[in-house]
Amino acid sequence: MPDPDLDGILPLTPAVFHVLVALASEAKHGYAIAREVEDLTDGRILMGPGTLYGSLQRMADAGLIEESSNPGDAARHAQRRRYYKATRLGRAALRAESERLLRALDLVRERTGG
Amino acid sequence: MNGPARAGRDPIRRAYILLLRIYPSHFGRRYRDDLIQAFDDRRGEPRFCGLRGGGRLVLFLLRDFATSVPLARGPRRDDRMATMMNRLLQDLRFSGRMLAKNPVFTVAAVVTLALGIGLNAATFSAVRGLLLKPLSGTEAPERLVQLYRRWPGMDYGSNSIPHYQDVRDRTGEVFSDVAAWYFTQIALSDEGRSERIMGLLVSADFFRTYGATPHLGRFFLPEEESVGPGAHPVAVLGNGFWRTRFGGDPSVVGRTLTLNGYPFEVVGVAAPDFRGPVAFADAPIYVPLMMQMQIDPGRNLIEARGSNMMNVIARLNDGATVERAQDVLDRLLLQLREELPDDYEDQLGTTVVPQMEAGIHPMFRTAQVGMSGVMMAVVSLLLLIACVNVANLFLTRARERRKEMGIRLSLGAGRGRILQQLLTESLLFSVISGVAGLGLARIAIRLLARVRPPMDGPWAFAIEMDGTVLAFTLVVSVCAGILFGLAPALQSARPDVLTAVKGASARRPGGSRTSRGLVVLQIALSLLLLVTAGLFIRSLQGATRIDPGFDEPATIAVTSVDPGLQGYDRQRATVFFDRVLAEVRALPDTRDVGLSDWLPLGLGASDRGVEIPGYEFAEGERQSIQYARITEGFLEALGVDLIAGRTFTVDDDEGAPPVIVVNQRFAEHFWPGVSALGRIVHTAGKDREVVGIVADGKYRSLGEAPTDMMFLPHRELFGTELAVVARASGSPQNVLREIREIVRAADADMPVFDVRTMEEHMGIALLPARLGGSVLGLFGALGLLLAAVGIYGVMAYSVAQRTSELGIRIALGADRHRVVRLVLGEGIRLMVIGTALGLLGAVAAGRMVRSLLYNVNALDPMAFLGVPAILVAVATLAVYVPARRAAAVEPVRALRAE
Repeated sequence: MPDPDLDGILPLTPAVFHVLVALASEAKHGYAIAREVEDLTDGRILMGPGTLYGSLQRMADAGLIEESSNPGDAARHAQRRRYYKATRLGRAALRAESERLLRALDLVRERTGG
Repeated sequence: MNGPARAGRDPIRRAYILLLRIYPSHFGRRYRDDLIQAFDDRRGEPRFCGLRGGGRLVLFLLRDFATSVPLARGPRRDDRMATMMNRLLQDLRFSGRMLAKNPVFTVAAVVTLALGIGLNAATFSAVRGLLLKPLSGTEAPERLVQLYRRWPGMDYGSNSIPHYQDVRDRTGEVFSDVAAWYFTQIALSDEGRSERIMGLLVSADFFRTYGATPHLGRFFLPEEESVGPGAHPVAVLGNGFWRTRFGGDPSVVGRTLTLNGYPFEVVGVAAPDFRGPVAFADAPIYVPLMMQMQIDPGRNLIEARGSNMMNVIARLNDGATVERAQDVLDRLLLQLREELPDDYEDQLGTTVVPQMEAGIHPMFRTAQVGMSGVMMAVVSLLLLIACVNVANLFLTRARERRKEMGIRLSLGAGRGRILQQLLTESLLFSVISGVAGLGLARIAIRLLARVRPPMDGPWAFAIEMDGTVLAFTLVVSVCAGILFGLAPALQSARPDVLTAVKGASARRPGGSRTSRGLVVLQIALSLLLLVTAGLFIRSLQGATRIDPGFDEPATIAVTSVDPGLQGYDRQRATVFFDRVLAEVRALPDTRDVGLSDWLPLGLGASDRGVEIPGYEFAEGERQSIQYARITEGFLEALGVDLIAGRTFTVDDDEGAPPVIVVNQRFAEHFWPGVSALGRIVHTAGKDREVVGIVADGKYRSLGEAPTDMMFLPHRELFGTELAVVARASGSPQNVLREIREIVRAADADMPVFDVRTMEEHMGIALLPARLGGSVLGLFGALGLLLAAVGIYGVMAYSVAQRTSELGIRIALGADRHRVVRLVLGEGIRLMVIGTALGLLGAVAAGRMVRSLLYNVNALDPMAFLGVPAILVAVATLAVYVPARRAAAVEPVRALRAE
């Protein structure tokens, strides 16, 4: 059974799903998230500045992610950037969504004999 | 990654930051810096670098805005916004595809419209910069007025310093400040580097009158004017000069510079936006008026009520009007006439010109306004032609798309939705054209701002793109796009579904009437443009044909020197000039040489009042005549023909009986029908005997009507700023070099200036005609090209539409030549109508520009016959090509196409 807090959050949009994947291991700043999502999807999800921060704001409002301190990134402009990490809810949502996708995949395989 | 300096200049970045305001304010406030940072990160990626990358980035960002604006809004309005945004996005994508599907169409239309828009924006910038825009860096410019003394025959006379002081001290009820200024040559040396610059002598309240602020230090103090002449050697630097000459070094304030051999302390630097009292120059240095004797030795302007050199500017009090100021000045003149009858008996009044209406100089106002009007009219015509082209292209395409629209309507698409899509398409199209047009305008403006009159001076034309120009371009392009893109498109959204789907109504007579009308309009407009341009080009030719009154200007070498700037008195200067004259005369490759304080066709000339015994000046007739002070040899070096008597000799000096040489017109004016030799002219304080009469020439400008001119002997009426004028028998460039060496040998520190041949000097007089002629010639050629493209487009389309009809004719046995004649005949009929209309317009336009033409009839046959002939030839070619294609139609294929 999924966590009851996840009502109304699942299913995740592909963008939100991939942002959560990008933040699964460590905190990242906005642009790094966008680049990672782009890599993860072979360039199919290309987030412009507005789309990126619009999504991040929504996800933060929904409690999926939160701002975090700079995890020791010493790169240029690192001090000025805003960093994000996944919340417990965010990680739960990612897990639940992955399970949902796996079940869906199983279902398809079963029916098509794949 | 872009450095911060480069990022600041990135236009995409600037536009992006501006567009961030689209986001709801809470989102914008919170993420502004992050969004800009993310933008910078993206801009640094290789795929978004450079020109093509920039284009890609713009598309990427537009898409980003379309998705993220609804995202950033509250969840409530979300759905409607998202639908709208999605729809817009969908339309944009579809429009983009439609435009990309037909690249030739798109490129042709965009280039056409971009040219029209770009030239409009550039011309508008120039007109605005020189005529409409208030002087930059001034406060409440609408309250500034320029004051000129009015004499018989002269409306815009300058002021003397004592006169200025009276005006300043006695008009407090209408003016809060009254300032005086004039440009003068200054030799500046600092740390061993010396140069000659055009500086400004200004009254102490000059900066306060304009409301300018200092960037560093201070401006002049009241006591720098009230405490006697020569007491305050201080100077203020113009901001541009401070940056270029002193590298923007703030420690310049407090430093001492040498101006004309005198030490002056720099007390301040003007703010960057204040560039001086005229719109076409950037004043490098300002010196208090009371230092005039140090800067401009050899004459005392401070006490000379008759030396009118000053420009006077005044600021109206709150509540004061130009009319009241006029009354107060008239009253003041009456008082002055009572107090100083000798000085004021001639002055008729004072001309008050609001600064905002003065332009370059009120004297040239009519010509300026006229020329600007012609330019704006011409570029508007060009834009109109471009629009007609675009309309044609859209019309053609609308017919092609009638079927598509019919199908969409029949499948249940709302007309509103289709209209929205078409609107998006025209807007996208006009925005692309507008952006391309702005790019063109930037290039054109950069070229325009680089135009320099062939004269030394701190020229800096205030031509730049600003918010107004941008807004102007935006409005023009959107209007053009909607008007000429949407209107034809509307036609296609209105077909009746059935026939459209069947495709049977492809040749509705109404549609082709529209495009025929457009062809006629196109030809008429192009002809109007071309004939006007032709008139100006003929005028340029006319101007070069005008006899200036002297020979072979290319072999006259001119070099100016002013030993007064080096502190020479009259005796030293005389020795210096005699040495230079003797050595130049001794050069193997010069024939004649002389000195003059004036050169013909330099736009300027001084006048002096004259009295002629036995001649009564009529009421309002001008009593002052242009004059030049010259030495022996000057008229010979110029090659001015001597009609009677003699020219000056070395002996016409202070000790000799006073003499004068006049031109023919002068002689005929005052002594009609009798010989002028031996007659008396009272001027410059003496009764002078006319000893010589020379041929008339052009004195101020080539376009002027014949005017009186008199020459006075320089050896009697001395001045230190003189041009050495020598007729070269060999290379004039060699002579120029030799003169420079001779001057340097006489005094190594003596600056020489305006070193050039007379032909180069005449460039000043020819500048308006040259500039006008070449710009209009270019515009005319563009107009011709656009017209040819447009005519070809319409004719080719109409032939394509008639393919089946022509095929049937041929199948039924029509001769191919007859088909050519048929198509050609139709095109020529349109051409004749268009030409007739265009010629009518051109006659009217010729009347309007008559006053701006040199030596050319407003109905010049070359312009009115030659130009239409070229247009008709080009248009015939544009019709002939489709006609030939029509004749080559295979009957079977044509029939099958039905």
